Amino acid sequence: MTATTEAPVRHRTPRARGVVLPPAARLLRIELRRSTMPWILPVIAALFWFDSYRFGAGTPPYWVLRTFWNMGQGRTFMDFAPFVAGVAAWIGSRDGRRRTADLVAGAVWPRWGAQLVAWAAAAIWAVGGYLVFVCVMFAVYAHQQSLQGSPPWWWVAVGAAAVTAFTAAGFAVGAFFPSRFAAPVAAFGAFLAVIVSSQNGFGDTSGWPLILPNNANGNYQPISGIFYPYLPDLPIARIMFLAGIAVAALGLLGLPARAGGAWLRRAAVVVTMAGLAAAGTASVLVRTARLTPHGMVIPALHDAANDRPIRYTPVCGHAAGVPVCLNPAYRRYLAEVAADLRPVLAEVAGLPGAPVRVAQVAGRYASGMFEDQVDQAGVWVTISGSPPVLQLPLDVFNTLPSATPGSAGQFDQELPLLSVHEFVAGSGGGTAAQQAVQAALLAHGGIPFAAQPQALEIFGLPNWAGEDLLGLAPAGGPSPSPRGPVYAAARRFAGLPAAARHAWLAAHLAALRSGQLTLGQLP
Amino acid sequence: MTAAGVRSSPPGAVPAPLAGRPAVASLRLAWLYLRSRRVPVALGLLAGLGALLGVALHWRWNVAGGAAAQALIPLTIETGAAAVIAVTTHGPFGDPERATGRWLPWLRLAAAVALTAAAFGALAAGAAGGILPGGTLVLLRNLAGMTGTGLLSAAALGGAFGWTGPMAYWLATESVLAAHWTTPWIWPARPPHDRGAAICAALVFTAGVVAVTLLGARDAGRRTAPE
Repeated sequence: MTATTEAPVRHRTPRARGVVLPPAARLLRIELRRSTMPWILPVIAALFWFDSYRFGAGTPPYWVLRTFWNMGQGRTFMDFAPFVAGVAAWIGSRDGRRRTADLVAGAVWPRWGAQLVAWAAAAIWAVGGYLVFVCVMFAVYAHQQSLQGSPPWWWVAVGAAAVTAFTAAGFAVGAFFPSRFAAPVAAFGAFLAVIVSSQNGFGDTSGWPLILPNNANGNYQPISGIFYPYLPDLPIARIMFLAGIAVAALGLLGLPARAGGAWLRRAAVVVTMAGLAAAGTASVLVRTARLTPHGMVIPALHDAANDRPIRYTPVCGHAAGVPVCLNPAYRRYLAEVAADLRPVLAEVAGLPGAPVRVAQVAGRYASGMFEDQVDQAGVWVTISGSPPVLQLPLDVFNTLPSATPGSAGQFDQELPLLSVHEFVAGSGGGTAAQQAVQAALLAHGGIPFAAQPQALEIFGLPNWAGEDLLGLAPAGGPSPSPRGPVYAAARRFAGLPAAARHAWLAAHLAALRSGQLTLGQLP
Repeated sequence: MTAAGVRSSPPGAVPAPLAGRPAVASLRLAWLYLRSRRVPVALGLLAGLGALLGVALHWRWNVAGGAAAQALIPLTIETGAAAVIAVTTHGPFGDPERATGRWLPWLRLAAAVALTAAAFGALAAGAAGGILPGGTLVLLRNLAGMTGTGLLSAAALGGAFGWTGPMAYWLATESVLAAHWTTPWIWPARPPHDRGAAICAALVFTAGVVAVTLLGARDAGRRTAPE
């Protein structure tokens, strides 16, 4: 064989390298390239579209409402959690499944360090995928319907922390129990945790359950991002809790003897303890949380600057000569509100205590979930100040019209009903005379007598609506219909000429409001 | 080097006369197949899930919510059982096994059906100590359908990732439960005697079993699963 010796020796020119990466970065690059995590992202993307994006798409066009399901109740990270935990367990069990643990134990790098790099690559893919999916969803929302308010970025951060924590926990399961079943067991554990957390967190309004990242109670109100900033207190505590779990899980990997030298294992103990301390501290902090009108406040984490309302210039229209002013985020409802109030304001114009202005105010939320607020306390409008102003907490109305044709029906009844009741009877159920005058004013304000029983049954009205319904349409028939003495007096009063009705109200309104008049005293 | 010094069989080897008998050979083949798929471990996990269901029902573990939410814990445990069955389809041998094992499709079919039956038995036994929402028929319907999703995802994604099918299906189901959909393809949301839901679950199970029987899990020879 001479060919070899006779052939000219060709020296390959070394390739120019721009930057020589340190070993950790090179290892991370290798792990990123061979990580299994990207393989699962298409599955998550399909689920994310179906579950997180699609089910949130039908809500009114406000960031806080549109993202209530997928961010406030944590559906976005729930769609990630079982899958990233399972795949991280598969990655974490690699050395054990391939029987290469002894081989890599003799490498230059300590085993713990190599495991952390493998986990970091998995976490980068998982969190990166999460952030990309969420940002795409937000972009689609913003592009399609020009949402009002501001996006809930703190909740995005909580979701990213949750994905990180599930990745770390899953990786630890795989590292300690290397088997083909590590992945489904880790996924099942994550799955059980998020399902139970989601369902039970839904009902708890105080105490440790507030730490659950899919508990929307008290910190995701319809005024968030519109009237007040999203309060970051609870998200900060949750990030601390989830980061603590992630750090503790990663620290556990460094505890076994094969993980590294003595000093490294001591460091792992410190890391584990620090993680547990962070998670424990966060759990204790949320027990001090208290509900304020615009969100959940944790005193140790609270920044008073977040209590300042968001400044805005109201948009105004007119109804029967009365200015009607709303937050610009509610501009789309201005014409509807003005049209609904116009006949009512025309009826009471010039009477003592009649509103000279209509202004939107932020709803005050005394219970955890805003849906419960409507359920338990009902929707209230008030007339206060001097000169009197009719104050509308539109965010509390659960009948706000949507893009669906015909969806404005209940709102068109509820708004005049609440306004007239506040003007005539105030906060209580009202006397029979007040109920009769209210019915008569509503009949001239666009709600005929026959339609009033149905209007008084709208979900979310305060308790007085039930009393008024019984007064106007006493129970007994197959369907409620106006009859009885209140109805008779209301018809009699409504039948008066407008000038006579107005003159009688001007003279007797104070007595009527104070409950001194009886049905018989009505004209 | 010669083999002259080798006089004894490796530990565990079957004596030649016994191995020659077809029945013993078949049993040995089945046992080796089951071991290669970690079926004994899977049976242990299924028994554990049955016990977990028993504990959950006995101690009335539950989640907040209406009637649909009452079934969440049992359904979650059924999802776990389906995930375990799906992962047993992962084969470690790839091409050599595919090239030499003419009984392989039958073994895959038998293992999938037997494990589903074992899972049903374990969960039904666990549920005997409490009141299972919907009863045993619903358990069978839901378990079979979810196992079908697992087997299908094993055929599509690889045996090691067969668990993703039941998990994804159940997460989608949970949001559909909240939205009160009535499609029979979301069978866990349907009443116990809903024929359409039972047919859909049976179709998915059949499709999964057929896919795994004929094709095997995706990593069983055609393509190496990502590591």
